[in-house]
This record gives sequence, structure tokens and C-alpha cells, in this order.
Amino acid sequence: MSIIAEIKDLVKYYQMGETVVKAVDHTSLSIERGKFTAIVGRSGSGKSTLLHLLGGLDRPDSGQVLLEGKNIYELKEEALAQLRRKKIGFIFQDFNLIPSLNVWENIVLPIGLDGRKVDEAEILHILERIGLLEKREAMPNTLSGGQKQRVAIARALAAAPAMILADEPTGNLDSQTELEVMSLLKNCVKEFGQTLVMITHDETIAQMADVVIMVEDGKVVKQL
Amino acid sequence: MKMITRLSLANMKYHKSKNILIGIAVFLTALLLFLVPTIGKNMIDGQFAVINEVYPRWHALYRGVDEETAAKLAAHHAFGMTGLRSDAGYMVHGEAEIALVFLDEPGLELYNITLASGKLPEQENEIVVSEGILRELGQSGETGDMISVPYQIYRNGGLDYREEREFVISGFLADGEEASETRAYTALVSKAFLEEEIPKDQRGYRFLFQLRDLEAATTDRLEEQILSVAEQFGLGEQNISVNNDYLSANYVDPAFAAGIVIIMLIIVAAGIITIYSIYYVSMGDRVQEYGRLKAIGATRRQIKQLVLREGFAVAGIAIPLGLLVGTVLSRMLFVGFIIGGSEDNLMLELLKEGRFASWYWWIYVLTAVVALGTVYISLRKPMRLAAKISEIEAIRYRNESAGKKKHRKGVRNVTISSLTGIYLAGDKKKSLMTICSMAATGIFLIVTATVLSCTTPRESADSSMYGQYVIMPLIEYNNKEHPEREWSSIQQNNPMTEELRKEIGQIDGVEYVISFSRINSFVEELGGSEGILGVPVECREELLKEITKGSVTYEELCTGNKVIADTDLLYWYPEIELGDRFHITLEDGDETKELEVEIAAFGDYSFGFTNYNYLLMAKEAVDSLGSHNLTYSYHIFAKEDYNEDVAGKLKELVTASELLQFATWQEEYEMWKSALGLTNGCCYAFLGVLGTICIMNMINTMINSVHVRKKEIGVLQAIGMSDRQLTKMLQLEGLFYTMGTLALSIGVGSLLSYPVFLLAKKNGMFGIRNYHYPTEAVVVLCVVLLVIQMVLAWLLGKSVKKEALIERIRFSE
Repeated sequence: MSIIAEIKDLVKYYQMGETVVKAVDHTSLSIERGKFTAIVGRSGSGKSTLLHLLGGLDRPDSGQVLLEGKNIYELKEEALAQLRRKKIGFIFQDFNLIPSLNVWENIVLPIGLDGRKVDEAEILHILERIGLLEKREAMPNTLSGGQKQRVAIARALAAAPAMILADEPTGNLDSQTELEVMSLLKNCVKEFGQTLVMITHDETIAQMADVVIMVEDGKVVKQL
Repeated sequence: MKMITRLSLANMKYHKSKNILIGIAVFLTALLLFLVPTIGKNMIDGQFAVINEVYPRWHALYRGVDEETAAKLAAHHAFGMTGLRSDAGYMVHGEAEIALVFLDEPGLELYNITLASGKLPEQENEIVVSEGILRELGQSGETGDMISVPYQIYRNGGLDYREEREFVISGFLADGEEASETRAYTALVSKAFLEEEIPKDQRGYRFLFQLRDLEAATTDRLEEQILSVAEQFGLGEQNISVNNDYLSANYVDPAFAAGIVIIMLIIVAAGIITIYSIYYVSMGDRVQEYGRLKAIGATRRQIKQLVLREGFAVAGIAIPLGLLVGTVLSRMLFVGFIIGGSEDNLMLELLKEGRFASWYWWIYVLTAVVALGTVYISLRKPMRLAAKISEIEAIRYRNESAGKKKHRKGVRNVTISSLTGIYLAGDKKKSLMTICSMAATGIFLIVTATVLSCTTPRESADSSMYGQYVIMPLIEYNNKEHPEREWSSIQQNNPMTEELRKEIGQIDGVEYVISFSRINSFVEELGGSEGILGVPVECREELLKEITKGSVTYEELCTGNKVIADTDLLYWYPEIELGDRFHITLEDGDETKELEVEIAAFGDYSFGFTNYNYLLMAKEAVDSLGSHNLTYSYHIFAKEDYNEDVAGKLKELVTASELLQFATWQEEYEMWKSALGLTNGCCYAFLGVLGTICIMNMINTMINSVHVRKKEIGVLQAIGMSDRQLTKMLQLEGLFYTMGTLALSIGVGSLLSYPVFLLAKKNGMFGIRNYHYPTEAVVVLCVVLLVIQMVLAWLLGKSVKKEALIERIRFSE
């Protein structure tokens, strides 16, 4: 078993008015390479903050996040941005596609930002895999929710990151689409040999995961 | 409606950054709208105050009026203040000229003279003198002392034999600088003295007067009135002298007023374009806001009111602020203008004494009304747009639907540049709007800069002065005091002799002297007088080179029946054509001669070359047309632009004759340098503020594009866009606006600038002769825009980073 990412004694508190919200409170955990890890917990349990910290989107108050053995928060902003585009793929609940870019451009965006040349065959393969080959020139506003999320998945896969972080990717989808997207995501991760960390509060989805981490009040309470 | 006002005030605070930008644009608009007419009016009033201070205040005078007529005239309803003057004679004293003049009290006031001490003479043996007069007479005394005065009285059409009598000094006049220099003084005598010395039938008065109701009239109308009263009393035109200097100070040049109105319209246009564009660009951002209000029951009218009141609330702060800053700045600029503009600061002194107003209440009202009107016009379209928004669409509206396209071919590789390109192309209308509104000012700036860059003091001086020094006779027409200054008289005893020319040529430092001739002519076809200039053979090439239409040889111009017409003549007589024949009456001394000439060509000559004579012939021909010495000007070309020794020697030669005048290129150059420096400074300052109004546009567009895409930028950063890449993207976007603006401004501006230059040249504006591309202004414009845009992108990049990435990704309208 190899560990791709590790969280050590991580702390992130927020000030909300006069109260302090302990979003992540001295938490440690490990993510295994090539596995599908689901982080579950109730709303406000701190699972999203944990995911954001894992992906280098936010800075912790203390503690470490090690990605492939390196503490990502020792990096400067510029290097952290580079790390995000090279090593991490994000999938958001509300898709977060860039409205002015078409499907193809949205997918190749992280590669472009990294200054790399696009492997067109690879992207075409991904497009085919997500079933949007015909829609590659379509603008995001013409796509359905499911299609948008499939584009977001393709975007996360395209840069071949070390780890894909998904924040309730099916939260905005109906149940039929949710299943489709989930199975696509799972299969793709397997096919492309990637690590998937996903936040969900959906039991069914959590059951599809290899590892389930339960979070409550900012702490890992159980790991299955 | 109270709720709408409250809501618009809340909106104003909520959209603070946008409203600050609009506020700045309104503030600058109000500031300019205030400054232009205030300084313009200051200049007119200041000039008027100076003239009031220095010049006599009578509007006109009638000469040769007898006592009865004077009494009748004084009672005429057309006149306000009236006074009397009569010249009794001269004191007899060597070279000094001391006139004995009777002036009544109103006359003294109308001449703008105040006694330094004492009172006006009443008894026949009383006199008012000055220290200078006493010095000249070699006597001394105080008020009440007796002095002995030798004098000659005007009697029987000339100065009578010398007399002498004792006078009691009743008062003192101050000596002006000029009086001491020229040794020309005036002593005041009493009416009793006048009546005692000059028989009644020989006593002639000058009747001085001011007309009533001056405010509403133009000088032309005033002159008509002056003439008509003279006619009623049987006074001939030769007996009237109009105080044009004083009258023109009262008369606002319509061209000046029109200029100010045009400048104000340009400011209003820039204000409207900018404010409207800022609203237009921000509208997308606020569609939902208005939609929601409509959904909960706001009527169209209420939405319109909401937009209007928010705009007016901003204007309510910005306009008073503009007026306040304008109040301080107008005074500073005006004072700077006066100090920079003239050596003696009489105007400044008068301003400090409060002799004319610095500010005018009606300009405050005008500025406020026009600035509010500008805001209102700018808001009309946004108001309509906001009111038209459909509830459902607005609530559904997300900025991502901004592009209506369903498909786009796209690029294979997404880079920062292509990302920028895609974004800008996504909202072409907005991008174009920003560029066009900024370019409007840019074009105006380039065109103005072209005119200004063509106005180099050296070229303007070259254009108004041919040669480094010019000596000419002192010619004056219709000056009854100096009939000897008529050209017809001068030519009969012309001080511009060949000897003088030779003497000039021998001065060390003078290279050569060119002499022009001139003969006066009455052209029947034009119904007016024109001077025919005789151009010497030395200037043959220059004469022929500037021909713009038709052709003629110098030899043909020697025949005396062919002329070149200066194109300026066409301005007054556009009907003149090539080949036209003019029937001319030549003024040869006191005689006249008839001549017929053909217009063989048109030429475009500088005023320095023609000295405002619009018909040109060979000198040889002009000389042969008259029987006297028609030498009209010596143009002296020297080794240096100016040399004190050369100028000194020339001045010496000139002062030998009272009928000669002398001008130097250097004086012209200094005059142009100071005038153009001032004009350039004012124009560029004005353009600078105007440019700032329009730059608000770019700032708004860029801030708006970042604000609207806050989330999008967050996502881009989440998936790996580095800070450097973000700044680069914002830089590129700004660069697009900058380049677009520059391309349009420089392209269209340069194209337009040439015809404008030709127009300026044609109208003789600033003595413009040659086209100069305003390279410096263009470079400054490019650098300023680029720097502003780069700083802006950098600041925006920084401001984006202030908010945590994760907050931005969550951001939603």
C-alpha cells in the first residue's frame, strides 16, 4: 500500500462573528494511491474545508499536508498554483466551467495553464469516454447539468493529476444522472489509474468507495 | 417613493467602487464645465478692468463742437456721462511738448485722470501742472505758488505769437512714465482762461460722451448710434473719434463665446460617453438586482427612478465637490495665467483690489444644471434598459449566458493569450464600447496636438516676420491728428531712402537688405482698397514657389498688368477667379491713376512676406506705377537671429525719423513663445482632464470584468492559474483596450489631423505654415495609457488576491 497524501495534525479555525468555528480540528489521515476515498459527514462537519486544504486551495492554521511526501504549505503561492495544475484535479459541485470557453477549451485549460502541449488523441479519448465527443465545440450554457459535470470530470482527468478531489460532484444532479456520473467517474479513475478523494453525504455513493472517512466537528471519527 | 430613494441610496453604497468611478467622471466633468467659462469670463472682465484703468472712458468724441451745440448734445437722451475738452495751445519750451488743455470735471473723469493734489483751475490765472512740467520750465512750486508760463494760443487757425503770464498752481497731475520719456505733458487751464484767450467764434470743443445702455449692445450698433447723433447735429464723419479700445472691452467677441460653448459641449460629450459607458458596462452585473425588484412588484417607473436617483445621488456629491475644487483651481489657474502672461501685473493688482469678480454665481448654476443634465442624458438608456428587464429572465440570468453562441470553433491549445482573446471576443459590444468611447477623446487629443505641434514659435515668428529685422514707415489712415502718416503723404517725402538702405547694409552683422514697394489702390470689383505689393527680384523664387493656382513668370509681373492674388483674399472675396480683371484706381501721392490688371495666379504667402497686402507684382512694376518713392519695407537679414549691437544701430537709424518703425524677429519669437507656451499649456491641461474622464471608462471596464468574473477567476486559480498568469491575463486584457484605443485614436486622429492642419493654415491660425506630426504627444499618450493600464492590472490582480480563493469559488451573485 502506498500513501499519496497525508494530513498531519491539521488545524483550521474560522472566526464567525464572535464564535470560533473549528472547521478542521487537529485531524490526521492518509490517502492511498489509486484508491477511491470518500469523506462523509453532516453539513458543517468540516469535510469541505478538509478537502480544500488537501488540494491547496486554503491555508491551514497549523499542521501539514504532505503530497507525495512534500509539505505543500511550505510552497510559495506561485509554486502552489503550479502544484495544483500538475498534481491535483478538482471537480466542484456546481461544475465551475468557464462560460466563455467551449467544452474542448474547458478540458484542456489546466494543460494550457501548465504551458504544455495538448495531446489531442488523449483528449479525444477522454471526450469519447465521457460521451461528449460530438459536443466538443459546444458552449457550457448549452449543456445539461450532467453533461457539465462530465466536462468537469474530463477537465480533472485531462492534466493526468496525481489526485482528483471532488466536492460533492453529484450534489446538483438528479438521481438518474447522479448514478451515470458516478459510475463514469469511478470507471475513469480506474481506467486512468488515478486517486479519487470525494466528499459526499450520500450513503450509496460512499458505499462505492474503497475507503470511507467519517468527519464530525472537524475531526476524523472513523475510517473504514 | 421614499422606499425607492432609500433603496437607491443603499444601492449607491453597495456598488461603491462603481459609483466612485462615476463620481470621479461627474466631478471632472463639473470641474471642467466650471473652469472653462469662469476663466474665460475672468479674462474678459480682467481685460475690461485693465482698460478701464488705463484707457479713457469716453465711448466717442465729437470734434469742433461749439458751445451751443455742446449744451444741446449734453441734453441728448442717448448720452450718459458727457464732458468737454478744448485745446488752448502749447507752452513754449524747447523740445518738450506741454499742451494747455481745458477739461471740465466730467471730462477729467472720462479721460480717466485724477489730480494728484489740489483742484481743477477755475480762475483765468489758475493752472494744474505736474512735477515734470515744472522741471521742464526750470521752476518749482507747490499748490498756491505762482509760476511764470510762456505760451502760444491757437487762434485764427494756427498757433499765435508767444505770450507770457503768471499762473497760480491750483493742483498737480502725476507724470506718467511715457510722458517723462517722450517729454510730452499736459497742463490744465480754466474755462475762464480759454474764454479770455480765444474769441467765441474760434473756440472749438471736443464733446466727450458715454452712451447709455452699453451692456446689451455690440460695438457695431454703438457706432451706428454715435454716427446717427452726429448726423442729427450736422457733425461730419471726420469729426467723430470712437474709442474702440474701450468699446471692444465692453463687447464680448462672439467667436470667443462660441469657442467656450464648443469646449463645453465637448466636455459634456465626453461626460455623457463616459458615464453612459460605465453604466452600460455595469448593467449586466445588475440585471438580477432589478429583476428581483420587479419580481416583488416594483413598477417600470420605480425601476427607472431607482437608477436615476442613484445616479443623481452620486452627482449630488460629485458636482458640489467639482464646484468647490473649481472655485479654488480657477483662481489659481487665472492668477498663474496672468503672471505667466504679462510682465506688469496690473490685472492681478486689480483682481486683488476686487475690481472685477473672480467667480460668478450664474456659472455655478450653469455648471450644476449642465452637469446634472449630462448625468441625466447618460442615464436615460440605462434607465430604459433596467425598466425593460423581464422578471423571469433576470432571475434566471447568470453571467455565463452573456454569450449567446451555442458553439464556437475554439482553439486547440488554451494559453493565457488565447484565454484573453476568447474572453474579449465573448463580449465584443462591451469591448468596442470601451475602446470607442476612449478613442473619442484620443482622436480629439491627436488632432489638437497636431495643431499645437504645428505652432512652433520659430515658424510662427518666421511666418509673421520676413528677415531678422524690419523697418517700415509708420503708416496710419484717417488719423486727423497725424495726416502726415497717410501713405500718400509719406511716399512724397519717404524716409525709406536708398541712403538709409546703404547705411543698414553697412552695419556689421547684417548680411543683406531686401526692399519691398507698395502702392495703394481702390479695386472697383472688390469695392474696397487693397495694397499692391512690389516684390523685389531677390524674392522671385519664393514668390513663384508659393503659387497654388495658375502660373505667371516674374517677367510678366514686371509688366504691371498682371498680379498674383494671395489666397487670403479669397476668404473675403470667394468669388474671385483666375483670369479676372480688376479695374484699379491707384493712389499716387495726391494724384490718382487708372489701371487694369489680370489675376494671373493665386499664391499662399505668409503675413511676414506680404505685410497684409493681398495683390502682388514685381517691385519694378509697382515702382513704375507711382511717381514718388514707394519703398515700403526693408527686410534685414542678419547673421544671427538677434544681436544687440545690430538692433541698437538699427534703432538709432530709425529714431532719426518720426515716421519710421522698427520690429525684430526676436520680439515676434518671444511673443509667440510666450503666447504659444500658454496656449499649449492650457490646451494640454484641458486635454489631460478630458482624458482622465475617459480613462475612468477603462478603469470601470477592467474593474467590472474582474468583479463579474470573480468566481471564474477563482476557478481558474483553483485549477492552477498562478498569480503571475492572472496578472498577465489582466494585463493582456488592459493591453487590448489600450492598443485598440491607441490604434483608433492615432489612426483616425492622424487622418483627421491633416485636413485640420490645412484649415488652421488657411485661417492663419497661430501663423501655422508647416505640418508637424505630434510625435511627442503620441508617445506621451501611448506611455500614459500603457502605464495606467499596467498599474491598473497590477492593482486589480492584488485586489483579487485579497479575498481567499475558496471564498471566490463560492462567490455567487
